[in-house]
Amino acid sequence: MKLSTDILKNMLRAVIGTKEEEIGCDDCFDKLDSFIEMKLAGKSPEQAMPLVQDHLQRCKDCRQEYEALLEALQNLGSEV
Amino acid sequence: MLRWFNKNKKTDKKAPYTNEEWVELLSEPPNGQAVQELRKFLVRGLKPALSKYVDRELDQFVEDVAQDALLKVLDNIHTFRGDSKLTTWAMKIAVREGLTVLRRKRWNNISIEDLKGPNADDDSGEIFSEVFSSGSPTPELTAAQKMMVEKVQDIIQNVLTDKQRKVITAIMIHDLPVTVVAEQMNTNRNNVYKLVYDARKKLKNEFEVQGINPEEMLNNLSGE
Repeated sequence: MKLSTDILKNMLRAVIGTKEEEIGCDDCFDKLDSFIEMKLAGKSPEQAMPLVQDHLQRCKDCRQEYEALLEALQNLGSEV
Repeated sequence: MLRWFNKNKKTDKKAPYTNEEWVELLSEPPNGQAVQELRKFLVRGLKPALSKYVDRELDQFVEDVAQDALLKVLDNIHTFRGDSKLTTWAMKIAVREGLTVLRRKRWNNISIEDLKGPNADDDSGEIFSEVFSSGSPTPELTAAQKMMVEKVQDIIQNVLTDKQRKVITAIMIHDLPVTVVAEQMNTNRNNVYKLVYDARKKLKNEFEVQGINPEEMLNNLSGE
């Protein structure tokens, strides 16, 4: 395994950004459908649900699911 | 899993249904027509959402995922609270189902027990060589960088628990999905995320105790 300064920098950023209040993957998943409907409606879920937004920035798995869900629903358009 | 579809629970309508109608139609025993409408909806959404991750037989893969997701939706229909449209909630479940299958396939030959951490003998020094070759202009700075890297490695080695070090190594160093790490540790994503969170907090606290400023360290590593 080759470590890199990029990995170390990412770790430092993650440590620096650690907050007292964060939510886990379960809470994020629980609120993801509401979050994404706000997004599709042109509202600002980032402001309404900052903890979900924060988790999506930190957790790659949840972010990938958010992006795929957005892709699915945008393609379905008026069917949603 | 076979499920008894109630052909007698009839509806004159076709989708789109209201949430209340969906819940009524999908509750035991589920209405066959509504189940098929939801399945087709999931397939139509999953195809564009997963196409970039699937290199062959996308149609079959999406059909399988939709079928598995549908069973989860039916099993959990009583937990739907109506915070969103039912179709959005169902698609959320389907997308997670599909990506979970893909993550398992992608990482099925990797064991987190075999991953090397930042202090593994055979890679100690690689990070230093990269620091030295990263364009730092003065020997003083690279020496300082080397000390910082060693310090962080020491802290990771000595302050974190074995489990915390394992998840940090797998997720932050080797970029494994949380889903895969959780399955290999026989736990769930939430617990793994909590381990990472606790590790981050511990590192942050230890930096403070040792008088290390991580922002300054980050700037120095970036050569700023």
